Amino acid sequence: MNVKVLGIALLLVGLWAFLAIEVPERFLTGSNIFNLFLRTAMYGVLGIGVAFVIITAGIDLSIGSIVCLSGCLLSLFLSVHYDPFEGQEVFAIDPDQQVIVLSEETDMYKPGDLLRYFGGTKARSAVVALSSVESTSLPDDSGTLTRKGSLLRVEGLDANSSRDLRGTVAKLHSVKSIDAETGAVLMAGKQILLKERDQITFISPKGAMERLVVASAEISGDDTRVQVLGDPGSLDEGWFAMPLSRNQTMPVPMALALVLAIALALGLLHGLLVTKIRLQPFVVTLCGLLVYRGISRWLVNDQDTGYGNEYESSLSLLTNGKITLWTMEEPFGTYAIPYAFFLFLLVAVLAAVFLNKTIYGRYMLALGRNVEAARFSGIDTDRMTVVGYVICTVMAALGGVFFLNYSDSISPSSHGNFFELYAIAAAVLGGCSLRGGEGSILGVVIGTALMVTLKMFINLMKISDTLEFAIIGIVILLGVVADELLKRAVAKKRASQG
Amino acid sequence: METAPDVVPLLEVRGIGKSFPGVRALNEVDLSLAPAQVLALIGENGAGKSTLMKILAGVQPPDEGEILLDGKPVMVESTRAALDLGIALIHQELNLATNLSVASNVFLGREPLRKGLIDDAVMRVDCRKYLDMVGLDVDPDVLVGDLAIGRQQMVEIAKALSVDARVLIMDEPTSSLSQSETKALFTVIKDLRERGVSVIYISHRLGEVKELADHVTILRDGENAGELPREEVNHDAMVRLMVGRDLSGYFGKKERSPGDPVLEARNLICPANPEHEVEFSIREGEIVGIAGLVGAGRTEMLETLFGVTPALGGSILMGGEKMIIDSPIAAIRTGLALAPEDRKVQGLVIEMTVRENLSLSALRRDQRPLGFLDFSKEEAISQEMVKRMRVKTPGDGQVVRYLSGGNQQKVVLGKWLAMKPALLLLDEPTRGIDVGAKREIYSLMEDLADSGVAILFVSSEMEEILGMADRALVMHEGRISGELSRSELSEENVMRLATGGDKEHLAA
Repeated sequence: MNVKVLGIALLLVGLWAFLAIEVPERFLTGSNIFNLFLRTAMYGVLGIGVAFVIITAGIDLSIGSIVCLSGCLLSLFLSVHYDPFEGQEVFAIDPDQQVIVLSEETDMYKPGDLLRYFGGTKARSAVVALSSVESTSLPDDSGTLTRKGSLLRVEGLDANSSRDLRGTVAKLHSVKSIDAETGAVLMAGKQILLKERDQITFISPKGAMERLVVASAEISGDDTRVQVLGDPGSLDEGWFAMPLSRNQTMPVPMALALVLAIALALGLLHGLLVTKIRLQPFVVTLCGLLVYRGISRWLVNDQDTGYGNEYESSLSLLTNGKITLWTMEEPFGTYAIPYAFFLFLLVAVLAAVFLNKTIYGRYMLALGRNVEAARFSGIDTDRMTVVGYVICTVMAALGGVFFLNYSDSISPSSHGNFFELYAIAAAVLGGCSLRGGEGSILGVVIGTALMVTLKMFINLMKISDTLEFAIIGIVILLGVVADELLKRAVAKKRASQG
Repeated sequence: METAPDVVPLLEVRGIGKSFPGVRALNEVDLSLAPAQVLALIGENGAGKSTLMKILAGVQPPDEGEILLDGKPVMVESTRAALDLGIALIHQELNLATNLSVASNVFLGREPLRKGLIDDAVMRVDCRKYLDMVGLDVDPDVLVGDLAIGRQQMVEIAKALSVDARVLIMDEPTSSLSQSETKALFTVIKDLRERGVSVIYISHRLGEVKELADHVTILRDGENAGELPREEVNHDAMVRLMVGRDLSGYFGKKERSPGDPVLEARNLICPANPEHEVEFSIREGEIVGIAGLVGAGRTEMLETLFGVTPALGGSILMGGEKMIIDSPIAAIRTGLALAPEDRKVQGLVIEMTVRENLSLSALRRDQRPLGFLDFSKEEAISQEMVKRMRVKTPGDGQVVRYLSGGNQQKVVLGKWLAMKPALLLLDEPTRGIDVGAKREIYSLMEDLADSGVAILFVSSEMEEILGMADRALVMHEGRISGELSRSELSEENVMRLATGGDKEHLAA
């Protein structure tokens, strides 16, 4: 088996050498090498996960769908929306009467305040001055006056605009001074809650708008001194500010933990269906493949999803962050290794230790070869099989986190398609026999690198995309055939000795 | 041979010999079957009955000897050839397609065709004819899978008749039948005899043999051991001819004084034989043998004790305390160990090394914190066991698949000895093992017993039971038909109990 790993390692190095010689200006660039590391890390995690299942003589076809599901879940869990600090929901607005009715009773606004109305479907946005506030009763669906709201009499609504039942009203504060060079803005009002990463919508008297991100805010007397990011543009005194509070559905660590927990539960489900109900792994995970993708699409309404720039400085570091090695002049550029790769190495080391140095790894290898003998020897084969499936789905979810970070947005109908095949191919190339009981983590790592390099090869050598699957398929086939023939030769030699 | 001199035997075999690697299964065997005769063929496990029948049915060729049909030599080269000659073998496990109808089964492979398509109407009518011959009143379109076993068997017989079988070989036909189905079968057999069809009836149930057989041929160790015409057939005579060889001097049996009970089984119900309860106890330092014929339920009982197929009722006490043994893990915790019958499939992970197999059960006990393997303990177990068991291997890194049977068995035993069991269960410990290794295993068993380990072993070899056991439990059809103490242990007594007899009439 070490021979096999050596074999594909040689093939890998051979491919690299070939590419380095043939197209060095494209293969050896900093960004390409970075990509090589990154993609090996992302796909490698999936490969390591499926290796454990294959070692127990099972299979998992749902990996790609779990990558998609975890991506969609993560984007939902980390979705961000900005709401005005001093905002209220509008129950009804009547531009004719210059009246805005709010859904709740509130004392947030005082006569003389400047408010902005926006978000209507029919009524036009406007900046208005508040004349008076009074309490009023609101009808429910059947017309009965059940709850209380506020009635605002205002000036400034566009009388030609129509009535509406939707919208938001928010208080505006005047911009007292602005330093365009440093980005320091002084605005009226004590915004105690304003903090870094919140945003402010600035509105000019003429209606122009600028939306800027807050870097810091501190109270200064009765005003707030805000440091904004980026170019304030035409922002000036006399403009108005509508501070918006940044609301993230849940903190990043919690979102990650939840995604991994869900994956763990799915892995448990797979394992229990296989061990207790005695269903075939192929069938169970095939259904998983279909179900999880369906759920993903439903969760995000089949829309492309992602979290854009929101996590530039935190979560995105996972795939964008790197350790820079050195820089050369163009076209080579900067050489760096992504953080993701280090995480992947950690996972690989832990996996290898688990497989080769713990009793659990030994149990899995034994039961993959011969589940009956393992059982007769006192191994809890059901539990170890479940462990295999859990490792696989958790790894798939981890890969899903990587993949979501890697793309600006993912399409739930196709994201992750075929990933299980890449993973299984990498595992098989790396020495995992689908019959079970055999596997090497190092082999999976090299097998993944080989798959990634092959794809790169096809790209860089300008071979038609259409042949990609064909070439990969042939390489895998040759790899497995070589493995079989090698095994047979070794067995013949052994049998004639023994 | 005992046929009347002027009647040509329907089927005769002369001087049949057959060898397999390492064993002479049949040696100079003769058999003679007269027309319209029911001939019973009996003998112990491994006497050669199945081998002989497989030769007759064309499954295997003989190495020496000849087969004569109606006095003329024939070659039975294949099962097809056998059928063409009129020899039909009905296996113990029926050869029917349960998802097809009765008629389809009867004519499987020989369906009547009309214009290239199966002619269902003709098939049904013809099938009806043969069903009537066996007295089976069933619609030919009924699915075989919906029939009771007894009736399925009748379908098999009808099938044999439809190829105009003149010789019907039936291997343990009543093993899955109820009383009434057995009666029906006997009627059919007698009927067939009236029609001129002869039956070779293989069975361990000597009572049935007594009732049915016109003649009995006994095999022992692959050779003819005797013939009994109807008038002389009785239980004792049959048993005496089935056994009756010399004990070879393997065993130096010493007196052992067993200690306290290690295991007690009370009202134990094995899932394989739920109608019976078993009860026995095994004491420290005792070697208890379990004898019985194939199918008696011995392996099943060991598997129930070890938690592979947990008991449906009753209790197991280890060291006086009631234990719940619902899995091998639980069994191991109570101090049990099992070397199973199929060592390559159940006893060893054949693709792993000697060392890995030896340490497999001990891994849990010897683990380091967080589940890390204790390689030094594994090394220690491996070195110790290879030495102590005298496993012949180039090294403990050798894959177990390449070891001989005897050495493989030693690895299995080594694995369990590393667990220091209180009671060692052995299922056919020396099956398929050469003489030298056998002796080593016997002496190991003795050493273990001397050191206080209790041993409960299943064996189909009479010599092993008689030579090794301090005491023997004999099983028959899922129950313990009797227990034989040291002084009562003899081949005849064992065979008597194994074939359904009882203890009252034991020979001294």
